[in-house]
Amino acid sequence: MSLKDVLMPFTAWGNLFKEPVTVKDSRNVEAAPRYRGFHVNDVDTCIGCGTCEEICQNAAIDLVEVAGRDAKEGDSGLRPMIDYGRCCWCALCVDVCTTRSLGMSNEYKWVSSDPEDFRFVPGVDEKSWNDNNKGYFKMDGYDLYSTERVEMGELHPEERDKSFVEMIQGFSKEQAQKEADRCVACGICTATCPAHMGIPQYIEAIRNDDLEEGLRILYETNPLPEICGRICTHKCETVCSLNHKGDPLSIRWLKRYIADQIPESKYKEILETENITKNGKKVAIVGAGPAGLSAAHYLALMGYEVKIFEVQEAPGGMTRYGIPEYRLPYEMIDKDVDYIKSLGVEFQFGTRVGVDVPLETLEKEFDAVFAGTGLHLGRSTRVPGSDHKRVYQAIDLLRDVSYGKEIDLAEKVVVVGGGNVAMDITRTIARLQNKKFGKVNVTATCLEAEGSMPADDEEVIEAREENATIDPGWGPQEIIVENGEIKGLKVAKCLRIFDDEGRFNPSMDMENQKVFEADMIVESIGQAMDISYTDNIKEKLTFGPRGRIQVSPDFQSNIPWLFIGGDIIQGPDVIHGIANGHKAAKGIDKFLKSK
Amino acid sequence: MKDIVERIKVKFPVAAVTFQRKDLTFITVEKKHGVEAVTYLRDVEGFTHLVILTAVDWLEEGEFQLTYLLNNPQAKQDMGVRVRIDRENAEMQTAHHLWPALVTYEQELNEMFGISFPGSPRQGVPFILDESWQGPPPYRRDFDTKQYSEDTYFPRPGRTKIDPAEHMKKKLYPEAE
Ligand SMILES: Cc1cc2nc3c(=O)[nH]c(=O)nc-3n(C[C@H](O)[C@H](O)[C@H](O)COP(=O)(O)OP(=O)(O)OC[C@H]3O[C@@H](n4cnc5c(N)ncnc54)[C@H](O)[C@@H]3O)c2cc1C
Ligand code: SF4
Ligand code: SF4
Repeated sequence: MSLKDVLMPFTAWGNLFKEPVTVKDSRNVEAAPRYRGFHVNDVDTCIGCGTCEEICQNAAIDLVEVAGRDAKEGDSGLRPMIDYGRCCWCALCVDVCTTRSLGMSNEYKWVSSDPEDFRFVPGVDEKSWNDNNKGYFKMDGYDLYSTERVEMGELHPEERDKSFVEMIQGFSKEQAQKEADRCVACGICTATCPAHMGIPQYIEAIRNDDLEEGLRILYETNPLPEICGRICTHKCETVCSLNHKGDPLSIRWLKRYIADQIPESKYKEILETENITKNGKKVAIVGAGPAGLSAAHYLALMGYEVKIFEVQEAPGGMTRYGIPEYRLPYEMIDKDVDYIKSLGVEFQFGTRVGVDVPLETLEKEFDAVFAGTGLHLGRSTRVPGSDHKRVYQAIDLLRDVSYGKEIDLAEKVVVVGGGNVAMDITRTIARLQNKKFGKVNVTATCLEAEGSMPADDEEVIEAREENATIDPGWGPQEIIVENGEIKGLKVAKCLRIFDDEGRFNPSMDMENQKVFEADMIVESIGQAMDISYTDNIKEKLTFGPRGRIQVSPDFQSNIPWLFIGGDIIQGPDVIHGIANGHKAAKGIDKFLKSK
Repeated sequence: MKDIVERIKVKFPVAAVTFQRKDLTFITVEKKHGVEAVTYLRDVEGFTHLVILTAVDWLEEGEFQLTYLLNNPQAKQDMGVRVRIDRENAEMQTAHHLWPALVTYEQELNEMFGISFPGSPRQGVPFILDESWQGPPPYRRDFDTKQYSEDTYFPRPGRTKIDPAEHMKKKLYPEAE
């Protein structure tokens, strides 16, 4: 501190005996309607994203904890506190506010002898102007960031409904940077991502055109970026701050952009994984789906020798044998997996644990086991006729298509189910029918009414664009079979799906029935797990609701050497599998180090 | 307005013309013709009133753009004369002899953008910034307002900052390291 700083306050004493120049405002006129006075904040709408804090050029805003508001998905629970010793009433914070919760009353006159009073949380601290609705609010017609997504190129319906070529074309550098530019970098999304990916960080890397850094950030939490960059359920986008005033950021496509730009041959160098010191311990993994691959990746990085046992002929689990190629090309799965292979992870395909190799053998030969075997048994409607040989399970057909087997396709097909898997099989059948018969005749139906189908809206829209019929709101009653041939599916109007206790208990209007003509039926109403490989150790495991094995937060079962994750524990989606696999890898490491 | 522009063009080159509205036109002239242009418009074309002199910082292009906005009270018309000057050597001839008010505008641009008008009476005299101002001209786009306020003004005691993403991590998924 300089001498000047010390003496400065005393210079004011010079004014001590001067006549004060304060003028009493006797008119008490109100400020103009759009005058910028003290801030107001609709704290129920505010999500505590901190964008106001970030933009304030006077560092007048701090996000602070307020009583009674906890962090939850899409809301940090924090609220902006404003220091009026610094605020210059520029209103940048109001203009940028992602939710439009922040505004300014037109009240500017307020006297208090305590300077601390001029630092408060608008909308939380009681102020006379809190309900004042005059003042300054952001008007329509301009925005400090773009509220619209950069459009993604897609194949036209006519081009795509005959082929399995990837539909989504991916961003160019210009498009990616423009989209990345919209990010306000609040990081609200990170909590919602099951893998808690460093989303604002990798988006910043795109802005800086430093894709190698972007790749490093992706791999910190997600070793399947090509897969996730295409088919992730992108829960992050639902909580994106920008979603409040416009389109959420295309987080998923930005992730894909990073991975797409870098050839796999450069990964090891960029990710600095050329030399991994082995620790001499071995882990076996059952299932080469996302959960198993993720666990394998992180274990390999920690120096474990990892071997994956897989029933099918290729890795990827449901991402290969479920998700159709037009959404996720196989070479993209291969790219992600090839890198994991390059870390020394071994694969043994065509081997069913529990049949070809007992779990006990894995226990003996390895230090720990991770099982991520997924949900592979189709569920049947069990309506009369459902045991007919031309009633198929969606996942069985999708697997056959992945293997390149010709399926015994009919000209008229009905799919029972309204989720994403049902849309995948419907759109796959549409493509195959188009190829084989030159026309599409497939109808998907489900209990849920239009607008509340479990499938994503875009899946339903795109299925319709590809000439499939989606006729929701019907409950299957019977598969009509005449002379051994399927004639159709009889359905009744579904009145409601859940009973008063909220249990699944659909009720139908039997007066309102109809028949969907078909010579082949595909059921797609959910999948179940096959964990018969644990039969011999069953009594040592604990089972929770719906037959799920109970695991610790580290995904360790009651049998210490057995860790379990992915669809059979949580989800079902790829990113949960990845997150589970990562946590299990850390859990295995902890377990083996403490042994 | 078209004929006025035509008449100016005879006298010296006009780089660009924008007929913004029926009663508002902008012309761009070279720096060396700037004062000449406003003098001509005032003395010959009846634009006797100076509305404003302002500057825009075209940082990426390394230039400032000055705009002399003139008004013809009889014809009820406005004419903006734009002049691009180099940002590095930001200097422009003074025109304060034409309108006394320009002394103040030139003083303001001198202080806020660092543009000098040699010969103009109040160059270098503080305008709205006080004597203790230590930063660069604050209207230049490369002036980092936030950095300046953080460096110059001490933080009020008791202020705390919480990062939303970090806070959510602590509250919602503390297990992630
Ligand atoms: C048609 C369809 C579409 C989908 N679309 C999406 C989507 O768009 N986005 C999304 O996020 N998720 C989607 N999913 C879900 C997603 O594929 C799964 O959640 C994810 O693959 C689960 O990963 P996992 O590793 O737990 O299991 P899985 O991917 O099912 O992998 C398990 C692996 O274990 C193998 N296995 C099973 N038993 C044994 C055994 N005894 N011995 C050896 N190996 C065994 C299986 O063959 C399989 O390869 C879709 C699923 C389907 C069916
Ligand atoms: S920008 Fe708006 S929503 Fe975000 S913290 Fe500030 S006031 Fe709340
Ligand atoms: S009005 Fe301007 S100075 Fe005041 S808090 Fe908002 S952004 Fe900061």
